[in-house]
Amino acid sequence: MRLYRLSFAFVTLIFLPSISMAEFPAAPATEDTFLGLVEPFCPESIDPNWRKQQQIENVSIAPSPVCDPDNPYDIATFVKGTNNVSMATIMQTQLSPDTLIKKNDIDGDGDPDEIHIRLEVIELNGFSPDQQDPITTYNIAPGIQPGFWAFAPKSRGMSNESFASTKANTLLRLPSPSIRVEQGDKIIVTLENSHYFPHSIHFHGVDHPFQKANGEGNDGVPQTSNKLTMPGKVFSYELTPRQTGTMVYHCHVQAHTHILMGLIGMFIVEENKPNNWVQTFNIGAGFVRQSSVAVKEEYSQEYDLQYQDIDRELHNLIQQGNDSRLLAKSFNREYNITERTPDYFILNGRSFPYTLRESLVVIKPEEKVKLRVFNAGDQMLSLHTHGFKPTATHLDGVKLSPEARIQRDVFTLGPAQRADLELYARNDGLNNMGEGIWTFHDHNELGVTTDGVYPGGHISSVVFESFLGPNGMPKVQGVDVSPFFTKEFYQRKYPIWNLSDENKLYGEIAKTTKSSTTESNEESMDSTQIIILVFQILLLLITLFLIRKTTQKSNA
Amino acid sequence: MPNKKPIKSISTGSLVALGLSVSSLYSGLEAAETAFETKEITKEKHQPAKMEGMACGANMNMDKTEMVCGSNMRMDVTGMVMYENKEKLPKDCKAISEDVTLEVKAGIDHAKPYPGTVFGLSDHEWEVKPCSRITVEFTNEDEIRHQWMIHGLPKYLYPEGMFHIEVNGKGKKTGTFIVPSSNYTYLVHCDIAQHMEKGMKAQLKVGTGRGDLPSIPGISAAKFSDSF
Repeated sequence: MRLYRLSFAFVTLIFLPSISMAEFPAAPATEDTFLGLVEPFCPESIDPNWRKQQQIENVSIAPSPVCDPDNPYDIATFVKGTNNVSMATIMQTQLSPDTLIKKNDIDGDGDPDEIHIRLEVIELNGFSPDQQDPITTYNIAPGIQPGFWAFAPKSRGMSNESFASTKANTLLRLPSPSIRVEQGDKIIVTLENSHYFPHSIHFHGVDHPFQKANGEGNDGVPQTSNKLTMPGKVFSYELTPRQTGTMVYHCHVQAHTHILMGLIGMFIVEENKPNNWVQTFNIGAGFVRQSSVAVKEEYSQEYDLQYQDIDRELHNLIQQGNDSRLLAKSFNREYNITERTPDYFILNGRSFPYTLRESLVVIKPEEKVKLRVFNAGDQMLSLHTHGFKPTATHLDGVKLSPEARIQRDVFTLGPAQRADLELYARNDGLNNMGEGIWTFHDHNELGVTTDGVYPGGHISSVVFESFLGPNGMPKVQGVDVSPFFTKEFYQRKYPIWNLSDENKLYGEIAKTTKSSTTESNEESMDSTQIIILVFQILLLLITLFLIRKTTQKSNA
Repeated sequence: MPNKKPIKSISTGSLVALGLSVSSLYSGLEAAETAFETKEITKEKHQPAKMEGMACGANMNMDKTEMVCGSNMRMDVTGMVMYENKEKLPKDCKAISEDVTLEVKAGIDHAKPYPGTVFGLSDHEWEVKPCSRITVEFTNEDEIRHQWMIHGLPKYLYPEGMFHIEVNGKGKKTGTFIVPSSNYTYLVHCDIAQHMEKGMKAQLKVGTGRGDLPSIPGISAAKFSDSF
């Protein structure tokens, strides 16, 4: 009897509440989602005249039909040297008069052979003691500003675009510029350390002696060859490269952080040819508006594609303090590279969708284009081209024999590796599958995200001219791309398929806070429910009474 | 985790003196521009200087002969002076009140008195009378570029509201400008990325000035300071 009473009490306790709640609970409604401020595909501040084919200082500058082309006056100056152009041209750039000195045609073949290059070290998205936001800003994607260091051609005037803006001027960006020289040139590269940390330059794969003629180190390695070039100091490296190819230059001081912070770029040695005025700098890498004589003989166009990956924990260090001692401690002793996880992936300094403004490969049928692909990051890069199977002609700057050339659709490059690829727009189903907008992207899937949000990172496109719209916008026919041009998208605030999803199958669920749930329940409670509730309470009391009684009995 | 915390206490009386304009470095200077000019401020893009002078079309000299480009720009390989003004009086000045010469040195050695800074100036504050004509003798002791750049001057005399000396490595350049009559505190800095943040920030007070700008070594606290 006692047992029966007890079990009755428990059954009542367990089942009664569920009986009272048996009504079908409606799922919360779908909320209207606010698509944040959509940035234009192509900002109006970009001068459309920069895209045109033009002649400046007798330099013929190829058209660059993308949204955001390089400044043609910069190109002319990089071809001729700051010493061989008029002051009026220099004034259309932000270059210093001694950024690039080209002189002495030593071999008498119609181009200068003594080249003096000056590089500064700049910081982007750094700390400001005066404002919350970073200063000398550079966005890799909407609203994303990791801190960076980069080499930049020596400039003059303000680092910021103007006094009213904290945006970096166009020479200051990622990646560190590609540098082109001619085989056999006598080259001096002067590092002007305008940054607050010590730095150096190592010429990776570029033919250079370990020591300069005066016995000073020339390899840029603090442990073996060179003293640190401290802030405010300059150091000159000397080289006369005998071999051609796509090589690298990078800082070798605390290389595990300095390279990844952005102090790395391509150093390309072009074949020695008559009248070969090479474009010494390629700002932000990308399309080469004035290719070397040898490249022009084989290809109609040439692009530098530099891939990098960014661990936010490292890059944000410069935004967390101003004191040089704190910064040195956080970089050299606190940051732990064994815990490195990349968050952002950039091609020529930008993540998708910004890559579409600058790093499109624009092509015509039958064209042969040279791509110099460089993995400057710390992750493997598996570059896949839709619509094409390119052919590797050089690896790490060394030419492959015709039999060793590889044609495939995924090229995997480890850190610091380079591949020169031939992209051939012959519609034969192998080299090319016809005209279109053919995306090319990292097939390491992490690499096509931005802070884990897809699509981002290492994505760009080969666009046939027939598919290129005004202002360099590809005539895309897929989904509306506007959400990718908002900060909110990469902050994970916007439901990904929202603009294609009329029935809001995948919309945002309306928020219901806890307090409001209780309120609505109370409001909707009718008399039946109240009676049930009272009944339940009564039952509960009876049960408790019974239990007590039972326990008392058993105790007795 | 970002550790940017605004410092709420601002140095003595400056809050009152600066009023709302202290709220940000930039808004402060825009306020100054409105004081000088009645027309609306437009956030103009950086435009290269107009080229009127004959020398502008010629190739850059690699010797140290300055080339003149336009009426207010001279440049050579050792540096440049932009928007110099030796004669034109600001609208609110009847005459030049005094001629002042400021000798300023720049370089890493001048950062030593301020631990945690890297780039330094020999002085971080100057006081002049309203309507002074100021000649800056700017000496760079480093091997890289440095600048002495002042902002917030009237735009009808100084394009972009600035006067600028840049010295390219070790050396000296001199330039002159005239300040208006209003009491005001002008920002002086080196605008190479991170040079101002790492020590090269100073102020020029005209008349009684208008309080102190933030984060000037030896003078004022940072708005966003380090936590040690």
